[in-house]
Amino acid sequence: MSDEIPIAESTTAVHVAPSPPPYSATAQDRHRRDALALTIAAAAWFLPGLGHALLKMWGRALVCFSTAALLVILGAGMRGNIFSRNGEDAFAKLGYIADLGAGSFYFVAQALETNGPDVSHANGDYGTRLLATAGVLNMLAALHAYEVARARKA
Amino acid sequence: MMPAHEFKLSHFQAMVIFALLISIAFGFLSRRGAYQRARYILWSFILFLIIGVGIGWAMYPFSH
Repeated sequence: MSDEIPIAESTTAVHVAPSPPPYSATAQDRHRRDALALTIAAAAWFLPGLGHALLKMWGRALVCFSTAALLVILGAGMRGNIFSRNGEDAFAKLGYIADLGAGSFYFVAQALETNGPDVSHANGDYGTRLLATAGVLNMLAALHAYEVARARKA
Repeated sequence: MMPAHEFKLSHFQAMVIFALLISIAFGFLSRRGAYQRARYILWSFILFLIIGVGIGWAMYPFSH
């Protein structure tokens, strides 16, 4: 008998309460934060450092931008290979994905390298690696900005 | 648009520039605070160089 009274009281209390469930506002916030994080990641990919700049992380933004820019300038100056979409084998396709990771800097590299690639020498081969590194590093930075925007990382 | 310069770097120069740039980027992305970053950058840069030169020496017998 003594057990029935608290159950009846708690059931009444739940029916009387008119407020919506507390998790709805949190879920809405989470969706908004996810959308913002995706936008920041896209911005970070498109222009190296922009994602961190939007998050007001100025030091990281400056370093991401200047590192990717230096790698692209060096890579193009060393006449590295900039992979195109029409890769013949898996390595060329992977190289294209890596190069494209630099976002808009992929097109900057193409514009800088007017004489075309020259991988017959070691210099051109190093240039290819530097261009790919710029892309992969920028993808890593974009992922970092995404994680920060989702408040998973400081 | 013409490239401003055409760079001719030796193996070692290319490795040092690569190591320095990547160490700085990793240090800024993964650490907070100037001291922690400087320590990480220095440590990472030295390890890049030691491992790079070590791998170079390990491959030396195969080139002869």
